[in-house]
Amino acid sequence: MKFVDEFRDPELGKHLSSEIRDIVEPGRRYKIMEVCGGHTHTIYKYGVDDLLPTNVELVHGPGCPVCVIPMGRVDDGIAVARQPGVIFTCFGDMMRVPGGDGTLLEAKAAGADVRMVYSPLDALRIARENPDRDVVFFAIGFETTAPSTALTVRRAVQERVPNFFCFCNHVTIVPPLRALLESPDLRLDGFIGPGHVSTVVGARPFEFIPADYGKPVVVSGFEPLDLLQSIYMVLRQLAEGRTEVENQYKRVVPYEGNPRALTVMADVFELRPHFEWRGLGFISHSGLKLSEKYAAIDAELRYEVPGVRVADPKACQCGEVLKGVIKPWECKVFGTACTPERPIGTCMVSSEGACAAYYNYGRFARDRAVV
Amino acid sequence: MTVRNRDDRARDPERAGRCVTDHCVTCSDEGIPMRVVSEEREGIATCEDQAGGRQHVQVDLVGPVRKGETLLVHAGTALLRLDVEGPP
Repeated sequence: MKFVDEFRDPELGKHLSSEIRDIVEPGRRYKIMEVCGGHTHTIYKYGVDDLLPTNVELVHGPGCPVCVIPMGRVDDGIAVARQPGVIFTCFGDMMRVPGGDGTLLEAKAAGADVRMVYSPLDALRIARENPDRDVVFFAIGFETTAPSTALTVRRAVQERVPNFFCFCNHVTIVPPLRALLESPDLRLDGFIGPGHVSTVVGARPFEFIPADYGKPVVVSGFEPLDLLQSIYMVLRQLAEGRTEVENQYKRVVPYEGNPRALTVMADVFELRPHFEWRGLGFISHSGLKLSEKYAAIDAELRYEVPGVRVADPKACQCGEVLKGVIKPWECKVFGTACTPERPIGTCMVSSEGACAAYYNYGRFARDRAVV
Repeated sequence: MTVRNRDDRARDPERAGRCVTDHCVTCSDEGIPMRVVSEEREGIATCEDQAGGRQHVQVDLVGPVRKGETLLVHAGTALLRLDVEGPP
């Protein structure tokens, strides 16, 4: 298939793997974090880590939007979904994320009108088709998804759809990266930057990582060769004593991002003072809410939500997985009490989640994992 | 770019809440390439993925689009116009 095969060429993969082996120092251990859940998925689907020397370890970052949603926010969503007359819409993976009070799918089974949508535009269509019902869209995601919500919110206002509401849980990528870099229990040598988040924000926002923390960043595409090349580029920076932001994914990512998307987001959203991240706790200025201008369609203002912080189940170690402190298979309940069919933690829910990626592709590299 | 198209199974109500394709195309960070198959109207164009699945897509962020163009689409919104000469 055009656009795909050339980025999965086994011979090129072997060549890149060989170059990576040549550039690493034998006695040194390297820890590189892939920020994006899409990268995690590719790594385990294609066995990218098997092509790396044993002293290069990939650490899975917090870039799966489903995995970082805290249980309290799920409960808030369920509380809204249970309101009489509400049609609650959300993306597929979100329906199975357990809160303290069950999942949205269980709420649906108990009678709430919860519907899966593929885009916020689908939710707006449902609102138009059901003028006598409130339609609430559960908005999650990083800057890749936030522009879609922002455009839809503006469209709802422009088209005067009074029964469309947004329960906003969008988050931004830079604050959690800074939190991870400040974390005392995590030593990282470099980052594989998120590809499609960067189509919106550009590569520039990651410049603080080399500037303030002296770590290289390479914004990467999603094919296996993209990732191998990006890993090589990180290692080459380290070998040459450079730390900068490089863009491996130039065929898609403009260094400055998409200015129109950033303008729309600035109009529709404003930063929350703080937002809770699963496993990372509260991070300042890391979440988005609807701005005052769009307060009329803010579901959090229309409905009373519990807003209670719910502690993760004791057995669940998603927090440590999200920080890269442990590998998924080292969690006490991985593959036993916690499976994709009956997930306890969010990392097992989404196919982007590190635990689900490990589980689905059976990659249990226990002999080479270094924690 | 990986093309992970949803299929009819994804619309099966029996499987609600499960992304049955390889990958969740909506809540992940990853967009998919789609081809414009209808004229744009009020900022929305019909686009088709490589499996033939069609979707209304907001194209406000990429400006006017023409039939036949390929866009990187995420959650029903085109994030950028893909270069037809080069791979996405």
